[in-house]
Amino acid sequence: MPPPNTPEEGMAADGLQPLYDEPLQTSSSHPSSEMAHASQDESCILKLDYQNIEYIEPIDDTLLCPICKTPFHSPITTACGHTFCAACINRALETQPTCPIDRQPINKTRDYRRLPLIIKDQLDRLQVKCPNRGCDYECSREHLEGHYERRCEFTQVRCPDPTCTKLVARRDAIATKDCMHVDVACEFCDQSMSFPQLTGHYNHECDANFTECPDCNTPVVRHRLVKHRTQDCPEGNTQCKWHTAGCKVVDKRRIVQEHEQSGCSFEVVGRLMQQRVEDRKTIDELAARLTKVELAQSRRRERRIEHSSRAGRSPIASSSRSAHTTTNLPDITLNNNHMPLFPGSAADDSAAGGSAEDYMLARFERLETQLERFERLETQLEQVRQQAREIDTRQSHMILQQATHFSEQLAEIGSKVGVVNMHMSWLMSLQRQSNAQQRAGSAAAGGSSGSGMSHGSGSGGGARPGSSDDSGVRYLGESRRHSEGRPESLHRL
Amino acid sequence: MSASFAAKRLGKELQKISNSLPPGIELVSAENFDEWLLDIKVLDNNPLYQNETYRLKFRFGPSYPIEPPEVVFVQLPDRPIPMHPHVYSNGIICLDLLGQQGWSPVQNVESVCMSLQSMLTGNSKNERPPGDEDFVRVNRQRPRDIQFYYHDNDV
Repeated sequence: MPPPNTPEEGMAADGLQPLYDEPLQTSSSHPSSEMAHASQDESCILKLDYQNIEYIEPIDDTLLCPICKTPFHSPITTACGHTFCAACINRALETQPTCPIDRQPINKTRDYRRLPLIIKDQLDRLQVKCPNRGCDYECSREHLEGHYERRCEFTQVRCPDPTCTKLVARRDAIATKDCMHVDVACEFCDQSMSFPQLTGHYNHECDANFTECPDCNTPVVRHRLVKHRTQDCPEGNTQCKWHTAGCKVVDKRRIVQEHEQSGCSFEVVGRLMQQRVEDRKTIDELAARLTKVELAQSRRRERRIEHSSRAGRSPIASSSRSAHTTTNLPDITLNNNHMPLFPGSAADDSAAGGSAEDYMLARFERLETQLERFERLETQLEQVRQQAREIDTRQSHMILQQATHFSEQLAEIGSKVGVVNMHMSWLMSLQRQSNAQQRAGSAAAGGSSGSGMSHGSGSGGGARPGSSDDSGVRYLGESRRHSEGRPESLHRL
Repeated sequence: MSASFAAKRLGKELQKISNSLPPGIELVSAENFDEWLLDIKVLDNNPLYQNETYRLKFRFGPSYPIEPPEVVFVQLPDRPIPMHPHVYSNGIICLDLLGQQGWSPVQNVESVCMSLQSMLTGNSKNERPPGDEDFVRVNRQRPRDIQFYYHDNDV
């Protein structure tokens, strides 16, 4: 028996995992086809590599994929609750179909869960830099793909030559239709390279990268030497910046700068001149704006004249200008002083024998005054109308008040009539009773009726029929009604 | 593409490692993304490993971290191979964490070092694995091709 823990015995370990063999094979065939597809895509444009993005702010550890250690890209959460980039977990499952964190078995089709949107939002909002060298664009990660694949001038795209399979930066690709991958020689060293590499070569690789400035002896990137000598080199010759004001100082930049800082005597003049130039600029600008406004105004006027003349005296407007220069000449002379807007042009025109425009303007002005008068009349009319309306309301109000008064009085009268009516009926019934009593027999003479009579005559002079005094009188008629009503109410109870 | 995947991941790790490492672990060299050297020390007073430093060599395949790295102890004049029933005298380590089955892509260089540290810390047997001499004499395989049998989990 071989000793435990030796390599030979380990062979048995193979048999321990037959369960995993099958899904492993099926899953491995799928990603490989994916990979082939991806490589095809790459030939036309390089996809944005999310693992290569530089993030502006430090990222919270919880947003990092535990496999690639970069912020999640299209993340997936497993049934056991762990989250990975889709690509990372897929690749990990190829070799071992368990969760890389807690080793719970994972079935790709069954155990992938939808990621909470809040995490997606967090990831989308991360601020990133464009991964292209030379591009300093920054945006949220959500928008980076659009920038990189469609807009960034530094993204590698296909060479404009359709037969060439190499890539070139987008900004260079637009400039020409020829292949960019013809070798060009660096003008400073012996190397030759293709055009897209040239800029990088100049800045970073070229052996003759640095050269000494002949004036100040400091190393300068060679292709920036010209700029250095004309703008930066402290030993290069230059003029005082106030040379336009008359300063004659011409010396090395270092000295000239000192001279400028210590106070060039021409500085005051120079500043004045600068200011004057600026003022002049604003004046020109304002003048241009003024002429524009005037032009627009005159155009508007013309249009209005046309409009009004078409509506009114069409023959004058439509007929040629020469017609009214003769017929309506007085108008022009009269109205010439109402033209403050075009003093120059009016004078020119009048010198040429009076222009149609002036006439039209005059007409227009007259029309305008008429219009004003109309408007005034209109407002007056409106005022009158309002006054009439006011009077109307006041009157109706008064009528209403009076009417209510009348109706009140009417109601009073009505009630009084009712009272009289009652008295009448009472007297009538009394009369009837007495008649009946008289008819029943003279022998039976009721004291009660007598007393009722005396009562009734007494109360007859009173104003109120419903007072307590006549309760005795009403007793006769109403008591019956009461006695009849009572059993009914009892019944109901 | 997969090669660059490993490189990117190792770049991230290197960035983190060079900033801070747990006590007892030191980065010796990481010139490329193929092979790194680290030194580890056992921090407690285990008499077996006191005052010793051990050199670890990591070798990363192109599919790291999906595949485990190859980790061995390296012998140098001042860097012995630690005595441990899972460490062969040629430096090969028998640890399930470093095998296909035990490895997980969420592991990293730092976590492997720490696991090895704790593996040594917990050991009290001053011995080599059984069959060490034969294995060392016979073996020409690289550690990743060896099929270990992890028979005990208590050491």
